[in-house]
Amino acid sequence: MLPHILLVEDNAFVIGALRLLLEETGHRVSDASSVAGAARVLHADPPDVVLLDLTLGGEDGLSLMSSIDAAGARRPVVVALTGHDDPATFERCAGAGCRTVLVKPIRPLELKAQIATWLGERAGS
Amino acid sequence: MTRAYVDDVSAERLASLQEQNLELSRLVAELRNEAALRTQFLSNISHDLRTPLTAIITHGEILRDGILGELTARQKDSVSGIIGGGRQLLDMIGEILTYARGAANQLTLTRSEFSIESVVDQVCALNESLVAKKGHALSVSIESGLPPLYADREKIAHVLGNLLGNAIDFTLPAGRVWIRCSRAAQTERGHAMLIEVGDSGIGIAPEHHELVFREFAQVDASASRQHHGTGLGLAIARKFVELHDGRLWVESVLGAGSRFYFTLPVRGVP
Repeated sequence: MLPHILLVEDNAFVIGALRLLLEETGHRVSDASSVAGAARVLHADPPDVVLLDLTLGGEDGLSLMSSIDAAGARRPVVVALTGHDDPATFERCAGAGCRTVLVKPIRPLELKAQIATWLGERAGS
Repeated sequence: MTRAYVDDVSAERLASLQEQNLELSRLVAELRNEAALRTQFLSNISHDLRTPLTAIITHGEILRDGILGELTARQKDSVSGIIGGGRQLLDMIGEILTYARGAANQLTLTRSEFSIESVVDQVCALNESLVAKKGHALSVSIESGLPPLYADREKIAHVLGNLLGNAIDFTLPAGRVWIRCSRAAQTERGHAMLIEVGDSGIGIAPEHHELVFREFAQVDASASRQHHGTGLGLAIARKFVELHDGRLWVESVLGAGSRFYFTLPVRGVP
């Protein structure tokens, strides 16, 4: 079964680019453009990895973390996506339980390699 | 004049002064609010511009990296042009945002201890291919036994990168570019390090020495087209140095190269 990635992002063009990249490199992709939409996917079709944009319209992407934590043992790896590479953002994301922070635009081969690492860690745990 | 009359006048004057005070406080609050709104506006615009650019660059990189199949060399060149232009635009949006934050005093320092040598090495490595492309000779000299800096490493690297980038850009091919770090004369505020970035380039006329630090100012408009800046680079660099209680200035003669200097205070050194 293909690993399942949930993309939480509110720009259709960015979703389009990342979906293309992830599907071409052997993943199954769901997307959501709001925290509520993402929470529904988490419940209905638990993903292995969540790529979470921090700014979703007026919403703070990190407010999804309470739904993530509720997943218990099946908790997905959560990676924050942001345009801001300031230390405060990194700290906020680490504090909220994100595995790491990726600054957009993410380099495709780098993302592909990192996802493979996270999936490996998850399979091993 | 009766006592009652004097009291009346004083009370009236006091009331008027109090009213003026209130009005001034209101104006100050309004100005602060306006500055905050402007920064918020620039921050929002910057996010809104970045997002579609992200999609453009990611699509370009998916193609360039052969994820959808190998491209011919010429196709790859073309796609690399799209990516390069997009990344340049992204840097410029970042500069505008940094400038707006600086103007609204919203920049903070994340200090750590590090050696100036490590930053010089990093910045030189980043510019290696540009230096080679222009056939410049880049030399570095660091006085031995310099104490470590306690500063915002990222911002210092930004300042040094900006000055070195300018030195490379504004020097005709096969020129000389150098970085020198030394102990500065002791100042009232304590010990300081002096960092010089010099070049044998086109130089800057004395009347333009301050102009180059002004935002959106380029001495020569044709140079700005050639050197792809936002016109904010040196304004931001000066802001970063001043946040560290340092100073950034230039010494230059038109046609005979430029030397940019900045100082950074050093903590607890003999």
